[in-house]
Amino acid sequence: MTTRLMKTALRNITRNMRRSLLSGIAIAVAAMSIVLLFSLIGGMRADMETNLKDFYSGSVQLQHADYEEFERYNPVHLTVPYQEITEVLDTIDGITTYVPRTTFPSSLYIDETTNGAIGVGVDFAQEARYHDVEAIVHEGRLPSSGKNEIIMGGNLAQDLHLKIGDQVTILSTTAARGTNAITMEIVGIAAFPVGAMNTSTFWAPLDRVQYFLRMDAQVQRILIKTEEGVQEQQLAATIAQELSSRTGETYDVRSWKQINLMYSFIELAQLIYYFVGVFFFLLGSTVIINTTMMVIFERMREIGTLAALGMHGKELVRLFFLEGAFIATIGSFVGVLAGVGITSYLSRVGIDFTDALSGMDFEISSVLYPQLNVWITFFVFFYSVAIASLATLLPSKRAAKIEPVEALRYI
Amino acid sequence: MRTKRTQKLLSLLVMICLIPSSLAAMSAEEIIRKTDEMQTFDTAITEGELQITDRFGTKISTFIAWSRGSEESLIEFTSTAERGQKILRTVDSIYLYYPDAQELIRMQGAALRQGMLGSDVSYEDMTGDNDRLSQYEVVLDGEQVIGDRMCYKLSLTATTRSVPYPKETIWIDKEHFIVLKGEYSTKSGRLIKEIDVLETGRFDDLVLATTTRISDTMKADSQTLMIIRELQVNVPIDSRIFSLDELSW
Repeated sequence: MTTRLMKTALRNITRNMRRSLLSGIAIAVAAMSIVLLFSLIGGMRADMETNLKDFYSGSVQLQHADYEEFERYNPVHLTVPYQEITEVLDTIDGITTYVPRTTFPSSLYIDETTNGAIGVGVDFAQEARYHDVEAIVHEGRLPSSGKNEIIMGGNLAQDLHLKIGDQVTILSTTAARGTNAITMEIVGIAAFPVGAMNTSTFWAPLDRVQYFLRMDAQVQRILIKTEEGVQEQQLAATIAQELSSRTGETYDVRSWKQINLMYSFIELAQLIYYFVGVFFFLLGSTVIINTTMMVIFERMREIGTLAALGMHGKELVRLFFLEGAFIATIGSFVGVLAGVGITSYLSRVGIDFTDALSGMDFEISSVLYPQLNVWITFFVFFYSVAIASLATLLPSKRAAKIEPVEALRYI
Repeated sequence: MRTKRTQKLLSLLVMICLIPSSLAAMSAEEIIRKTDEMQTFDTAITEGELQITDRFGTKISTFIAWSRGSEESLIEFTSTAERGQKILRTVDSIYLYYPDAQELIRMQGAALRQGMLGSDVSYEDMTGDNDRLSQYEVVLDGEQVIGDRMCYKLSLTATTRSVPYPKETIWIDKEHFIVLKGEYSTKSGRLIKEIDVLETGRFDDLVLATTTRISDTMKADSQTLMIIRELQVNVPIDSRIFSLDELSW
């Protein structure tokens, strides 16, 4: 009986190909859009995670206990003793590597005008063990330790009409809460993945920054990377506890998810997009509902005949449901396939958001690479089949309620 | 008749008695002129310190300053954190010298409003000359006791836009002509800076402020004490010291 119903359903689909195609395309477009949307969000999440871990906070960030409270006052003096802390970090399991970073707001004095910029003191040798630091070099080279050299974000250099070989005088507040200035040479132009970094940041050797800011051997923060599968929040608590018991000092040690609210927003956005997805499918499904209803009205004579010949209401529902389910399955399959195809292409070439993200302090790269998640793609497929099929139930039930006598009146 | 003559005599006597006091009373302009004169020397070498207090605590920066007239000065910081840093004020500009910078930094525009070494004293406070009468309209509001000193209270309203504070209220010691207290405001009357002399001292024949508290009301929990330890006035100073060429010596 079921096989016969399926055959009938398939035959009915092909009987009006244009109508079935319209329904299928609606489902396909919805499914494709959702696959693309989720891939884009997946890409954004992965990109943000990489950027946050490489450039902003690490998997776990360690800084002075009071730093965050006074951050808006630029508390350069609230530092941590790097050597003492790393001796403790080296004994804790789950840590793969760490880097010291000192970020300081500064003014670049060029042609008698001051231009705001963010300086970052980094240990380039240690950075190479932490992430692919050479990848940021767009032109020139990385600065050498012990030398007054900087690598400057490409857009910042462009805005200030600076190039490799130029000398720049940098002014900043010191850890002694005074002011200081130092002249450094641009030896490299950087292409930081994050647009905001490109327009505002320069990196200099940590030892020169420590000297310039009168920080001795102290650093502003330590970024820690963890082994795969390590619970970052738990590790942060362990580090804080170990440091407290072994040095007697309290530090602000937190995982990257605890620090970066923006990432939580992305996670929240993803949840919201699941709901948006439902509406997408419901929208696509209205075409199916509409088509099915039209089919029912157009095939009233047939329904009446089938009912008169003894076909029950439930079987009629099943027949129309099967028709909807077939269209939904084919539409979803085609849509998901198209989504996968477009995503794989975009994941290779990327989508350039440079203009859209310019001037935004957002830890997302200017060029985004959508990332396909197999499980989410499967989910989208079944999800769209289920919603589109269920949407046909409504008009199908209507068909089941039609009395044969009334239906036969259309003959 | 006799009574009339007596009345005339009495009136004359009263007028005669009043003449010396009206002659002795100084006008607002005279008070300002005298104060500006008292605070300006041909040359001066000053040693002192800035005690800068903010929300994070107090830091001390020591300095030596050379000055000529009211428009030329050089400050060199001697404390460890700022050793070798210099501020040169010439007739028309302020330049900063930092030992590790290969160029001099000329302060201008909004940068002049920054606090010197993070203190409550802005670079702008160092600008202007001691001829306030050419820049302000002065009104004597009366007399008032500040601490245990009788002072003239004066209101100054700027007549030019080239001054850092459009409105000033100052209290000038009647005896030594030192500004003991000052309130500096915007045109609308919003208080920007307060200055209080906490101690005065005698250097040879001069009585000058030795400890002055400066508070920038825009900065919360902040004040700066400027303490003068040594002062030599009218001593010979090589004029090259105030030139840009000599700034990096």
